[in-house]
Amino acid sequence: MMKYKAKRMKVKISLLVICLTTLFSSCKKEEPLGNVDNISGLGGDMWAEGPIDKWIYDNLTVPYNIAVKYKWDQSEIALNRTVVPVKEEQVIPVMSAIKKAWIDVYEAEAGSLFVKKYTPKFFILEGSGSYNPDGTTTLGTAEGGRKVVLYQLNYFRTRGMPGFVPADSSLIKEVFHTIHHEFGHILHQTVMYPLDYKRISVGLYTTNWNNISDAAARLDGFISPYSMSGPDEDFVEMISIMLTEGRAGFDRIVNSITGTSPNGTTADEAKSRLRQKEDIVVDYFNKVWKVDFYSLQARTRTAVEGLIQ
Amino acid sequence: MVQYLSTKTFSFCLIALLAVFAACKKEQGPAFDQSPDERINATLAKYQTLLSGSQYGWKAVVQPAGGGAYSFYLKFNDANRVVMYSDFDSSTAVTPGESSYRLKSLQQPSLIFDTYSYLHLLSDPNENTTTIQSNVNGLRGGTLGQGLQSDFEFAFDTATTDSISLTGRQHGTKAYFVKATQQEAAAYENRQLAAPLLQLQNINKILYYFKRLTLGGKQYDVSINDNTKTISFTWIDNNGAVRIFNTTFYYTTTGIVFTTPFNDGSQTITGFTGITWNDAANSFTLSANNTTGTLVGVNSPIVVDREAPIRWWNAALNAGNTYWISVDGFHVNGVDDAYNLKSLRSGTSSYFYMLYWPQYGATYDLFAPVFLNEAKTELELFYGTAPRTLTINADGRVVFRELGTLGAQYPATGPAALSRTQFYNAGGYYFVQTSATSYDMISAADARIWITWEM
Repeated sequence: MMKYKAKRMKVKISLLVICLTTLFSSCKKEEPLGNVDNISGLGGDMWAEGPIDKWIYDNLTVPYNIAVKYKWDQSEIALNRTVVPVKEEQVIPVMSAIKKAWIDVYEAEAGSLFVKKYTPKFFILEGSGSYNPDGTTTLGTAEGGRKVVLYQLNYFRTRGMPGFVPADSSLIKEVFHTIHHEFGHILHQTVMYPLDYKRISVGLYTTNWNNISDAAARLDGFISPYSMSGPDEDFVEMISIMLTEGRAGFDRIVNSITGTSPNGTTADEAKSRLRQKEDIVVDYFNKVWKVDFYSLQARTRTAVEGLIQ
Repeated sequence: MVQYLSTKTFSFCLIALLAVFAACKKEQGPAFDQSPDERINATLAKYQTLLSGSQYGWKAVVQPAGGGAYSFYLKFNDANRVVMYSDFDSSTAVTPGESSYRLKSLQQPSLIFDTYSYLHLLSDPNENTTTIQSNVNGLRGGTLGQGLQSDFEFAFDTATTDSISLTGRQHGTKAYFVKATQQEAAAYENRQLAAPLLQLQNINKILYYFKRLTLGGKQYDVSINDNTKTISFTWIDNNGAVRIFNTTFYYTTTGIVFTTPFNDGSQTITGFTGITWNDAANSFTLSANNTTGTLVGVNSPIVVDREAPIRWWNAALNAGNTYWISVDGFHVNGVDDAYNLKSLRSGTSSYFYMLYWPQYGATYDLFAPVFLNEAKTELELFYGTAPRTLTINADGRVVFRELGTLGAQYPATGPAALSRTQFYNAGGYYFVQTSATSYDMISAADARIWITWEM
């Protein structure tokens, strides 16, 4: 019995030695890497630069280190969606509007260092919306505080552009809404908002938000249906809508709430919750970022109004 | 015994392991003289030279998965810019559109049209949101969210000095480029692509359902849809059988070209040139194979599909006792919904569609307007007229004969009354099957009147 054991152990050891020797000796390779400069596409896509590339470089890349990808790249878009690239003539109007209603206002209130440090650095522009199987359309996405994808920009018209009609204002507001929303995420992911915020509407968050109307959401003390999807979204929706609608616009929304929701929230409760959220947002901007939110709001709304109506 | 076996197994393992690791020795050199990167760069450079090297540009044909065929004229330069014309509509045919392109090594060397151009009109998913309603290619069969399922990123299949064959990377759209001549380039730049396009639009001025092409001593019934770029031929072959041929077509500066040539056994037609509308005669003259032909409206088909009415009738029965619908009702003299059914009301309910319900009763069918209630939650039938069970004449016509009316009092005036009167026209109807689930029912007395049934 003992003999058997010892023999087996010996075999095991020699096996191990042989394996190790084989591993380290056999696969030795000394091929050179070759000239890596030859690798196609290494360092990004190249093309002959035109006036749009120069405008982006001068106005966004040099001052803020922001890149804008307006040329098609399938890898930025889900493969099962049909999306088309943006029209070249849309690129500068879109980006200059974004600069006015987002970068410039934060720069004025929080300083250029703040803008350089925290703004998303990579914008991707698409011409059409992105249709989802559930019938909704994606108008903007953001990833990791760095990348923002904006859709439907072939239809973007600001005041003064040929073909502008007042109805176009809603798309412009949608674009600003997206950017302020995503930037809000960057801010709270950098420094978290007070936990009190999560307690205001506790129990009312739902994954079914996309089947809820604006009015119904407000009746429950939410600024938009999407803000019902979770406290983080709630927080940044508050920032975004308060900024793009302005203080008067936000007050109008709050004051328009009447009736009692199916969840039993009365109009007074809903109004009070929205006001509590407003207070926390204002306080957060003041204490964390040393920014006067109402002043930022006034500036943003003025910039937005300059581009619509 | 156990011990012996076990040792043997280990020896086998050892030998096997040694064999596996020993096999790693490699002595063959690279299969190619150059590295993969060098070869990719060389290939991309070759394609770049090919595209921008064509002094007079390229003619291209693109066939989206969503239907139709579209022609383009493209001129590439070596700085990622391309100027194009397209037969998409009469504006893109005459207005040069400039956008960008680039060559990139994806899984294969690829040509990417990377900012919006006329080519993207085919891919555009259209828009239907609260803020934007836009229907870029809907008229041509494009759907919401998908467009015509076309591509703007293409992989190179083959490339020779004067032609390039490409396949779309997302939808597999085929694109075929042919080098243009100086003469062709001049024709595109002189806006000649619009001429055949504008001529063929006059097809809608022929009010007759049936259009007869006489060419090279033969006759064909031709149906042309210049929105979806499709054409169909119906004729009687030498054995007396009815034959139907469908193809898509695209425009050139001189006429139209079929993507699949039409061959009836006696002649091959690859397309038409010299398409000219004659307003006074209400007809086209056009040429194929150096022979001039005419296309005129006629009152009856070249051959009556005698089986069509019974196929139509049975199709609804076999689909589970359902019915055929027509949203527009009768088309008369070039006007859809000629009797203005869409204005029809019954109480607070509004018109939804006309239906034909085979075997609504044991001995009768039903022809009636269907209404949608005010809350838009229910369909309602208030009144209808009951034709006797379908009978087909020997010549393939169907003449409907009224047995009586059903439900509330059938209106004596207005859209419903006009539809009923036309429906029982004593001349009867020819049936033409247009797809697996659609038929056209054409007045035999006057082929300028018809109704389209869909399931």
